[in-house]
Amino acid sequence: MRVPLSWLKEYVDITMSPEKLAHTLTMAGLEVETIDYIGATWGEKIITAQITHLEKVPKSDHLNYTHVNTGHGELGVVCGAPNIQLGDKVPLALVGAQVGDITIGESKKMGYVSQGMLCSPRELGMGNDHGGIYILDADTPLGERLSDILGEVVLDFSIKAHRGDLSSVLGIAREVAALTKQELRIPRSVLHERGTPTSEMARVTVEAPDLCPRYAARIVSNIQLGPSPSWMGRRLLAAGMRPINNVVDITNYVMLEFGQPLHGFDYNLIRQKHIVVRRAHDGEMLTTLDDMKRKLTPDMLLITDPEGPTAIAGVMGGAISEVNTATTTVLLEAANFNAVSVRRTSTALGLRTDASSRFEKGLDPELALAGANRAAQLLVELAGGMVNPGVIDVYPKPVKPRTIAFATGEVEWLTGMKVTQGEVIDALRALHFEVATDADELGAKMLVTIPTYRSDIEEGADLVEEVLRMIGYDTLPATIPTGPLPEPQRESWFDREQEIRTRLVGAGLNEIITYTMTSRARMSNLLAQLNASSARFLLQSGNAPAHGLPAQDVQIPSDKTIAPFEVRTIPAVVLANPLTSDLEAMRLTLMSGLLETVQENSKRVKAGLRFFEIGRRYLPPEDIHKQPDERRSVGIALSGPTEISWVPELGRAVDFYDLKGVVETLLNGLHIARHRFTPAQHPTFHPGRCALIETVRFSTDGQEIFSPIGVIGEVHPLVQQRYDLPHRAYLCELDIELLYAAVPMRLTYRPISRHQELTRDLAIVVAEQVAAQAISDVIVNNGGELLRSVTLFDIYTGEPIPIGKKNLTYSLVYQAADRTLTDAEANALQEKIIRALYDAHGATLR
Amino acid sequence: MLEQLDTLLAQLDALRARALVELASIDTSAALDEWDTRYLGRNKGELKNLSAIMPRLSKEERPVVGQRINAVKADLEHQLTAKRDLLEQRELLQALEQERLDVTLPGRTLPVGHSNPLSQVIWEVTRIFADMGFHTVQGPEVETDYYNFQALNLPADHPARDMQDTFWVVPGEILLRTQTSPMQIRTMEQMRPPVRVVVPGKVYRYEAIDASHEAMFHQIEGLLVDEHCTMSDLKGCLERFAREMFGEKRRVRFRGSYFPFTEPSAEVDIDCPFCEGAGCRTCKYTGWIEVLGSGMVDPRVLRQVGYDPAKYRGFAFGMGVERIAMLKYGVNEIRLFSGNDLRFLRQF
Repeated sequence: MRVPLSWLKEYVDITMSPEKLAHTLTMAGLEVETIDYIGATWGEKIITAQITHLEKVPKSDHLNYTHVNTGHGELGVVCGAPNIQLGDKVPLALVGAQVGDITIGESKKMGYVSQGMLCSPRELGMGNDHGGIYILDADTPLGERLSDILGEVVLDFSIKAHRGDLSSVLGIAREVAALTKQELRIPRSVLHERGTPTSEMARVTVEAPDLCPRYAARIVSNIQLGPSPSWMGRRLLAAGMRPINNVVDITNYVMLEFGQPLHGFDYNLIRQKHIVVRRAHDGEMLTTLDDMKRKLTPDMLLITDPEGPTAIAGVMGGAISEVNTATTTVLLEAANFNAVSVRRTSTALGLRTDASSRFEKGLDPELALAGANRAAQLLVELAGGMVNPGVIDVYPKPVKPRTIAFATGEVEWLTGMKVTQGEVIDALRALHFEVATDADELGAKMLVTIPTYRSDIEEGADLVEEVLRMIGYDTLPATIPTGPLPEPQRESWFDREQEIRTRLVGAGLNEIITYTMTSRARMSNLLAQLNASSARFLLQSGNAPAHGLPAQDVQIPSDKTIAPFEVRTIPAVVLANPLTSDLEAMRLTLMSGLLETVQENSKRVKAGLRFFEIGRRYLPPEDIHKQPDERRSVGIALSGPTEISWVPELGRAVDFYDLKGVVETLLNGLHIARHRFTPAQHPTFHPGRCALIETVRFSTDGQEIFSPIGVIGEVHPLVQQRYDLPHRAYLCELDIELLYAAVPMRLTYRPISRHQELTRDLAIVVAEQVAAQAISDVIVNNGGELLRSVTLFDIYTGEPIPIGKKNLTYSLVYQAADRTLTDAEANALQEKIIRALYDAHGATLR
Repeated sequence: MLEQLDTLLAQLDALRARALVELASIDTSAALDEWDTRYLGRNKGELKNLSAIMPRLSKEERPVVGQRINAVKADLEHQLTAKRDLLEQRELLQALEQERLDVTLPGRTLPVGHSNPLSQVIWEVTRIFADMGFHTVQGPEVETDYYNFQALNLPADHPARDMQDTFWVVPGEILLRTQTSPMQIRTMEQMRPPVRVVVPGKVYRYEAIDASHEAMFHQIEGLLVDEHCTMSDLKGCLERFAREMFGEKRRVRFRGSYFPFTEPSAEVDIDCPFCEGAGCRTCKYTGWIEVLGSGMVDPRVLRQVGYDPAKYRGFAFGMGVERIAMLKYGVNEIRLFSGNDLRFLRQF
């Protein structure tokens, strides 16, 4: 809301500087966003002058040569504007004046010497009008600084949603008066009514009183349509509105002044002189003032006559009854419409107007008549009008001011600030709240009557805020809460996420935070083959958060299953109003954001593409009206060399085991001893380089079962290609809640055995396809309690190991907790393990 | 025999002198070993050869010669040991010199990871409030209209909903939360006072993305409810936060504002940490920077969760994490946080 300071000063005396005023209001919650200084740059060289001589410059199609009287003499000025006439008073920029970016100099045009420039509103920074020279009022003194005549300070306020009463110059003046302890001057309208009584000229029927609590109408006849006086036009411009004609300008002016939106109908265009306020019929249409044909729905409130709609209530008038050059009689509407109804209508039509934005904040019905009278008075003064006697006022249930019982102690109770009853009463009365105190109960309860325009004040807390605003927020003391502390927190996912973050940062990874909004098309880039069976890997069936499937469950798709696939069939949490089609759905996986980050960064850096993200996957619920399952997850991506280094090992590109090492480091750090990596198939990954990460959970009968908590692998070459990655990339995603389900509840110390340990090396030869995990499982299962550790320390293929075989060498440590183990015991176990390895995998000793 | 004795003694002295001269010029272990064998060798060493004459000497002469031989031997052995130490030291030095490294070459570093600046700010803020007894909790990002709006005194069609343009999943029902404030309601529903929580998390606004606007960003909500707290306590808590976060000298300014779920409401400014309040570009020459919104929990909200507003009081606040991070680190573009550019991330 833009308010020219000079306008504000009509209603309240302001002695402080505009900056001080802005600060005072801002601190009290009426925020001044900017202060505009119109004319601040004009200086001494832009002055008022009068055209005393005007002749066309020969051979020019548009230039005129003028003499202008500056009050101290005459100057010759060449001017190209079409609108100037002899005798006009105009702004003159003298030689040396600064106008915008240019400095005026003496110039010669087509033989005429020009000693200055006449200015348009745009050149003066007063709006966008560049159609002609700004014509000053006829009574403007000559030779004055223009800034003394037209200079203005405009305060731009941010009006909060609950204070509709501040959407007017008077409302702000009321606040200024209260905060600066000044009197408020409310303009009183004195009307001389003549002619046919209004009640005989028109009828108003409100068929929807629920949406229209009040409808007041006045009629003004003998209107002479024309331009508004310049002072009014200037104020409208400064407030951000465009002057149109005196009738429209007056309704706008009064709306800005009082906050009451008004609409002027051409009385003669109201059919049957009967206004009916009703809901729209299905399929009704109306062309609004902006020449748009609007389709109306039955929940919209209309102003109609018996033959059809003439306006959309509280939003915009219709072209059909618009004030025009032939208008002589105006019916002024000053109504009150339901805030929600106006808001819904304007939202549905995509039509936000100055009127609708005032109505939707809730307007005081008591304003209507004052607004109508003020506009009528101005129509008399400025448009030659004659006010018809009486007013039509359909107002079946007048609002009553609310009364609130209030005690001084409530202020201290809520704010901790000590105040006296006198201070409270002063504060509330300054805001024109009536305060009645009970003489018998000194200092106790007060009855506060709230003006009808302050519908935001409903109870004690609201009054506390008013008192605080008046006394000043800056007087609040600062103390530390002394109340009891809450119960201890049992589990904190925030802390767990931080633990993972710390460990992964320690592993040399960089934490990214990507947009959780993405698109199913973007996510489907993760799929080597785009089809329904691979798409389901993006989210898994139902809410099962597991990733991937065991290798044997996946079948190579036959030709028949490769049918055209529509990514929009992928279930996801989809936005009804996405910002762009790239952000149409919530992510199902962290992996696409990770790969996109690797892709973006690979264009800029040659090494160190090591990322992780901690965030959520959003798995769609079966019932769309429910919230989705937000799975806390962590994703990791590695690609290319860790750094560019002269050390060959450091400069090499990472591989699968680098990523696996990071995951194992995380698992070991969390004391998840029982975990394994099971080969798996997943459409994002290289078929031979992908695994499910599994941890032990206990089934109901106490049996250990390994179940997946995430997936890890080398990105499928087709996927890598799609992201245009220079190096092979490695990805993993883990479900944080499942991860923590495997973390031991507490750690228990196991005594360190004092007895000697026996170390035995075990070198075996097995078929190459036998997984290391399978071998170590056999060793562990057969080693029993005495086998303390199994460490693989060498893998060898090549001569003399036969082709298709590999040689694995383990170091096995045997130890008993309670005695010294004999060689015989260790040897027996070793024998048992060797036999079992032969039985299970055909392993032979090397 | 006396002449012979003198000759013998002279020979011994000469031997010692010659040996020492030779020894002085020796500079390898091999030459030293050779010297050792030549003069001190047990079988054919020159000293041994000279001492072979002993049996032929008279009883009186023997101790004289014997003492002299022993003295020469001891002297030579002592000199040998000294020389050997010297040579060993020198050879070790030479060997080590061969192993000289260019210590100015870069080391084999472990990769250094960086947590996201937003995570760091969230951690720091939550720790400050943890010191004041606030638990850190999290809530759903895909919320219901009830928790995000209605329970927070923002009924359908409330004009203040415009302040927060919303991403809808199911219009009117399911949305991406526009603020962390719904966790005020969820927390109060789940526990009885005293309540002290801070809630970090992602929030979403339907906004065109530019240098100062993001459609997804982070907030931290704070809520304290008990039978004792006042708005002065709110100011005290936030002042402490501002000083820990932005420096000991920071001042906090409360000014009037409006949030549907607090009454009274206050916007909180700190004096500009860049210019110490003198006025600069960052604070738009006002000396003050808006950092968060706050207020006393509106009695309508307390009633909504079944708390008696005549008994319980509470305060709540909410801050933008990106904004705090921008102020703390002097970042001038909000989009850098979602850009995930390594050159940016590595600075934190």
